Amino acid sequence: MRRPTLGALVIVVGVLLLVDLLVVNASLGELAGLLVDAAILVAAGAALAGVAALALRRGGDLWRRRGDPVGATLVLLGIGAVLVAGLRPGAAGAADPAVEWLVAALMVPIGATLFGLLFVSTLAATRRSLGMRGRDATVLAAAALVTLVLLLPLAGPAGAWLSTVAAWTLAVPIGAVFRGLLLGVAILAALVAARTMLGVGSTND
Amino acid sequence: MTERRRLLIRLAPALLVLLLAGAWLLPAVDGLDLASAETEPVEGWQSALDALPPDAVVLVGFDPDIGTYPEIRPTVRAAVADLLNRGARLAFVNLTAEGRALLLGELRRLERATANPARLLDLGYLPGAEAALVSLASGPSVPAGAAGAVARDVATDGFGAIDAALVVGGNDLGPRSWVEQLLPRVDRLPLLAIAPTTLLPELQPYLEGGQLDALLATPRDGAAYRAAAELGPLERLREVDPAAAPVLLGLIVAILVIGQAWATRVAASIRDAGHEAREQA
Repeated sequence: MRRPTLGALVIVVGVLLLVDLLVVNASLGELAGLLVDAAILVAAGAALAGVAALALRRGGDLWRRRGDPVGATLVLLGIGAVLVAGLRPGAAGAADPAVEWLVAALMVPIGATLFGLLFVSTLAATRRSLGMRGRDATVLAAAALVTLVLLLPLAGPAGAWLSTVAAWTLAVPIGAVFRGLLLGVAILAALVAARTMLGVGSTND
Repeated sequence: MTERRRLLIRLAPALLVLLLAGAWLLPAVDGLDLASAETEPVEGWQSALDALPPDAVVLVGFDPDIGTYPEIRPTVRAAVADLLNRGARLAFVNLTAEGRALLLGELRRLERATANPARLLDLGYLPGAEAALVSLASGPSVPAGAAGAVARDVATDGFGAIDAALVVGGNDLGPRSWVEQLLPRVDRLPLLAIAPTTLLPELQPYLEGGQLDALLATPRDGAAYRAAAELGPLERLREVDPAAAPVLLGLIVAILVIGQAWATRVAASIRDAGHEAREQA
């Protein structure tokens, strides 16, 4: 269903922020600042709501005995531990040593471990992709092989040569592709924004 | 598949972890060097630091994410020590909750290492991601109760007091957002960035285009910078460098695993093409 009020609001806010970027005017600046502050409040509210929704969802899972009870318990315990550590009477909030310990001794190593596991799972995924006999997978794996060889941490002339070639691949072929992608994304974003603001080709049509 | 092969495949990840742990315990090996021999990124970084005025105020956007922070942490710590050793004053700001949690630990570390607190200012956490960056462009707001010359200068002159920005990026909010949201809204501001390798391809065009003045975004460039950085009396802030042997071992395992699968796939394609050609003949 179309909501003209929402569309009009988007148009007004978008045009105002664009004009504020181009024109130096104190009143306009203040108005744009107010809108940005409102966006910040909405974002902060959305973040809080997201955490609350996660806790409610996991609590509901446990209550109704559905889903993954171990995962739900761990999520709730994690949220609870940080909240208790930071909000208990006399605590210093996020700067409290107990919160810092939870971050440094638990969250950082666990997060890094999950990232480290990507090493094993990416290798397994690459083997599976190659087993499916796709041409794209063959090209991707060949590129990955070249990149991995270029990254070998060798000293001496061999290491210097690898570093030079790695820098060239980054600056020329990879750089060219990503520059094109960034330009494409920027043009597409500008087009979508303009169409949204002008009400052309709305997704509600 | 035989039972033995199945067991070997199941045990392979655990064996790999054990091998990596063993390599990590090895002493430094001659012929291995984590530091990249390519000097351009480090020279660019040092030039950007050399161009800072004496007693510069550097705004540090500290928003790494928990998963990739260990990759850039030694470089971030060396860069902070390097800036302090050059006489810079640092004003830290966070735009992500993860960055805030990590920064508080780093500030505590600086405190333990008795870094001069008069040269540090914590501007706190700004929620709102990109919207917060837009808001930051109108002048960082100094928290009530913040004292010292840095707080006074930033409160009085806003961005006019800031000589450069150092962005420590992560997956949620990185240097790209600073280039897109902040730079168009402030007068010329040198922007330096430290980011995990995953962000390198999207940042490289900004570095080539001059929007980023300097970038350290690979473990090898970071190691090269750390080897070249002179931290003077703040040498104690330096973190022990990661060993090169586990990196080499991991890369060799990856090359062997992918190479074997790739070679098998290519050989099968060639065989299939040969069969088809013979059938057609």
